[in-house]
Amino acid sequence: MSMLELRQVSKRYGQGANEVDAIADIDLAVERGSLVAIMGPSGSGKSTLLTIAGSLEEPTTGDVMIDGARLSGMSRNDKARLRRRSVGYVFQDFNLLAGLTAVENVSLPLELDGISMKKARAKGMAALEGLGLADRAESFPDQLSGGERQRVAIARAVVGERSLLLADEPSGALDSVNGEAVMRMILAACHGGVAAVVVTHDAKLASWADRVVFLRDGNAVDETLPPPSPEELLNPEVPNPS
Amino acid sequence: MDDFQLRSERRPSDGGLPARRAVTHWAWRLFRREWRQQFLILALITVAVAATILGSSVAVNNPPPKDAGFGTAPYSVSFASYSSKAQRFIAKAEHLGTVQVIENATYSIPGSINTYQLRSQNAPGPFGAPILSLVSGHYPSGADEVAVTSGVASAFHLSVGKSWQVGGVTRDVVGIVQNPQSLLDAFALVVPGQVPNPSQVTVLFRVPSSALRALGKGVQISTPASVAASNPLNPETISLAALVLGMLLIALVSIGGFTVLAQRRMRSIGMLESIGATDRHVRLVVSANGTVVGIVGAILGFVVGFAGWLAYRPSFEQSAHHLVGAFALPWLVVLLAMVLAVLAAYFASSRPARAVTKIPIVHALSGRPAPPRQIHRSALPGIVLLVAAFVLLGYSGGTGGGNGSGGAPELLLGLVFLMPGLILLAPFFLSLTERVSRRAPIAARLALRDLARYRARSGSALSAISIGVLISVIVVLAAASRFSNVLDYAGPNLASNQLALHTGFPPQGVILVHRNAKGQLVRVRHHKTETATPAQLAAGAEQIAKGLDAQLLALESPNAYLSGTQGGRSWSGQIYVATPQLLREFGIKASEINPKADVLTSRPGLSGVSGLVMDYGSGNPKRGANQNGNGGSVRDPLIQEVSALPSGTSAPNTIITEYAMKKFHISSDASDWLVFGTQSFTADQISSAQLTASTAQLQVESRNDIPSGSTIINWATLFGIIIALGVLAMSVGLVRSETSSELRTLAATGASSYTRRTLTAVTAGALGFLGALLGVVGGYVAMIGWLRSNSLNGGISALGNVPFGDLSLILFGMPAIAAVVGWLFASREPAVLGRQPIE
Repeated sequence: MSMLELRQVSKRYGQGANEVDAIADIDLAVERGSLVAIMGPSGSGKSTLLTIAGSLEEPTTGDVMIDGARLSGMSRNDKARLRRRSVGYVFQDFNLLAGLTAVENVSLPLELDGISMKKARAKGMAALEGLGLADRAESFPDQLSGGERQRVAIARAVVGERSLLLADEPSGALDSVNGEAVMRMILAACHGGVAAVVVTHDAKLASWADRVVFLRDGNAVDETLPPPSPEELLNPEVPNPS
Repeated sequence: MDDFQLRSERRPSDGGLPARRAVTHWAWRLFRREWRQQFLILALITVAVAATILGSSVAVNNPPPKDAGFGTAPYSVSFASYSSKAQRFIAKAEHLGTVQVIENATYSIPGSINTYQLRSQNAPGPFGAPILSLVSGHYPSGADEVAVTSGVASAFHLSVGKSWQVGGVTRDVVGIVQNPQSLLDAFALVVPGQVPNPSQVTVLFRVPSSALRALGKGVQISTPASVAASNPLNPETISLAALVLGMLLIALVSIGGFTVLAQRRMRSIGMLESIGATDRHVRLVVSANGTVVGIVGAILGFVVGFAGWLAYRPSFEQSAHHLVGAFALPWLVVLLAMVLAVLAAYFASSRPARAVTKIPIVHALSGRPAPPRQIHRSALPGIVLLVAAFVLLGYSGGTGGGNGSGGAPELLLGLVFLMPGLILLAPFFLSLTERVSRRAPIAARLALRDLARYRARSGSALSAISIGVLISVIVVLAAASRFSNVLDYAGPNLASNQLALHTGFPPQGVILVHRNAKGQLVRVRHHKTETATPAQLAAGAEQIAKGLDAQLLALESPNAYLSGTQGGRSWSGQIYVATPQLLREFGIKASEINPKADVLTSRPGLSGVSGLVMDYGSGNPKRGANQNGNGGSVRDPLIQEVSALPSGTSAPNTIITEYAMKKFHISSDASDWLVFGTQSFTADQISSAQLTASTAQLQVESRNDIPSGSTIINWATLFGIIIALGVLAMSVGLVRSETSSELRTLAATGASSYTRRTLTAVTAGALGFLGALLGVVGGYVAMIGWLRSNSLNGGISALGNVPFGDLSLILFGMPAIAAVVGWLFASREPAVLGRQPIE
């Protein structure tokens, strides 16, 4: 069973003469442990696809299933619970809550899910340790660098038992070194069994994905397996996702 | 499935307590980080709570304590003399429980219209401790000893160690005492049994409640509670009413503040929702923030209010004339003020909290302002409430045979309906403004359209302004209608540099003492024998004026008076004779007087009143016959209004001309005098005048604190304007911040600072004008409703006296001030308002 499955998903904005199809009849399936990159020019519907996949927005038509659960029949609260327990988001501009420290940001989804502060904090700390940020756990977002903030955001996206990671331009606000580091972390999460969908403009980063889906004007125009990256060619130890 | 997953399945769907704790924790952090953005709301709540605590403490403690006169006794009975009935009651009470008897006889203080009590009270008695304390010396222990209050000591130049003849006995002054519950209580304390003919016998007692019925036959037993209950509109009730109204205004203003705050946090809220927060969690973030603001404001308000009370208490005790404990606060009011502050902030934040959950997560994450909400059709329920208020107020005004005395519940309910009626009408007024502004210049059009589009902010501000103006307008109209009746002339009796001297005696029952030829004080049994001659009275008046270094004007009272009825009010007024001295004193030349005028007056409108009757001579029951022994009446005498005459109610504001005096053969005599000082008389000067006056059988009348109609109207106008401008100061910035992105766009398209200034000025001016208009409409609805069935002031015709000046100030002056201030302050637009916080 796919972790994420989109069936004939369309999203239309506006009415009458102002009607615009952001995405049209998109089919997409993402298995556990796999990384899918979405590429396309601005306005092609990449972010819309991601928000619909993550239950942040309703599709106009079509079905979205996460871990076998159909979103169309769910209440707002059920969707919120699904996001807490199964879906992790990583945004281009980090979207950390300013009033909370790094560890509080990471443990927040768990606390919202009813886990006691002490246990949630322990899991948050573990997630930060896994990303090398244990020493910045008590720092507030405005005391962290861009790379650190994105690592905190990734820790928050994977903490607990999340099985679907959705990242919208996760390296867009970072330099190339930090951008690659972020992609490594996402890939590491995939190796741990998480299904990930990454929206990116950067072909180099997309080459880390198992599959690349190209969008244009809301339509999926191509879907390819990326060619072996220079890293893979130089280092045969690096596993080829294909 | 591992342990973690198993536990997840058992967790509540909304995260339960841990989730609420986490969200509240975040709200608290946000408050700490962003308290400056909430400073206005916080300051508002702090000031309101502090003012309530200070104001209610002063109001509640200003009158004597509820148990004043009771000491520690639960029951009290008073008798007019030490009669057999009193003696029987005391004997029975002593048999059933504990009793303390206090006897009083009233004596006048020579040279003053004031009196003092000769009091017998057992100093270490069972109940009297709260009403008797020793300042210096010791309590009297024998019949030849007396202790006096500082007032008595001062009046009789006494001190400890001196001898003093009081109650027919020469006694040694052994102490200075006071009544802590009434520092004005002037008395001379003697041991029990030393008041020969008490005029008041107070029995303080405690008996089992089961014995009260048998004991209470034929007597009126009072308790502190029964005394307090006799006045339902006690200071606590008034404080609570003012508090509720104040908090309603604060809640209305705060809604705008919390809405903007929620908008500023839109992205954070979107983030929270993206990681799985439910609508309930989101609402909790905003309302928890509101609650925190309320709690912090309430605590700060308490600290500030209590500190203010502690600082003010010493001076307050002097003015209230009784001692007040540091913790003698109306704790119920204090507690309610704090609770209401928290509730007001909570409810003010609840509306934006609900609104923010309706914004799509993607919109919230983008940080774009939410699209304006559709117009609510709130006009109809608003009108229904106004009509209900109108009907209820009309019913209230018609009770008590048309004087409105029996309709307090309907009056309150009517006013309660009026306010939500105005609140519901506010959005309608805003959308109406937007419609009429379609042909206005771009900046004004944009400002007015934004007011209508973003009603979450502007609507609550408009409601708050309109309620502030409503209160003010009701007071203005009520005062205008109440004081519009020239026959019901009210206001200050005299100017502060004037004293009126009248002949007269102290009230019946007061024992007069008189200083005889040897300078000794002797008791006066019969007033008649002491009546001074006119020459002696005039000499006394001259002595007072000389002592004050002031001018003296003899006021001649004619053998005539004016009477009439208008608008349910009757008048039978004192008039004086327009003597040449009087006219000269007030700068009125003979040429200014109509030679045929019978009466001159400073009362505006008196000359237009028809049906006035001037009785003179034998027709005057007060004065007897005229010089010829004939009397008569003149209907509608010719009255000329002369503004130069004084306007005080006790001053010669209405005088009969010498022409009328001769025509009707009216006699007169000098019984009153007016003393003019070059500047205001001090309390010492007045006290000195009173001392002199009492030996001359004169009474001194000085300026009282009764405000005039125009004073009340002017203060109410000022109140309305200040409230409205205060609300505008707090809300215009919030309203404009919502459209700050539009300002940037305007700037990018070449709009100058003129446009920015115009936007803010029009926003402030329009909000001010609409609020004033709504408040004035509400005020007239209330007053027309109440007066239409009320005959006390002539019914609805009393509204014919429109206070144009004050209403114009509210309707046009206040919005103009708001617009000008908005224009001046809009030169620098804070850039931060337009930016979304990026974490």
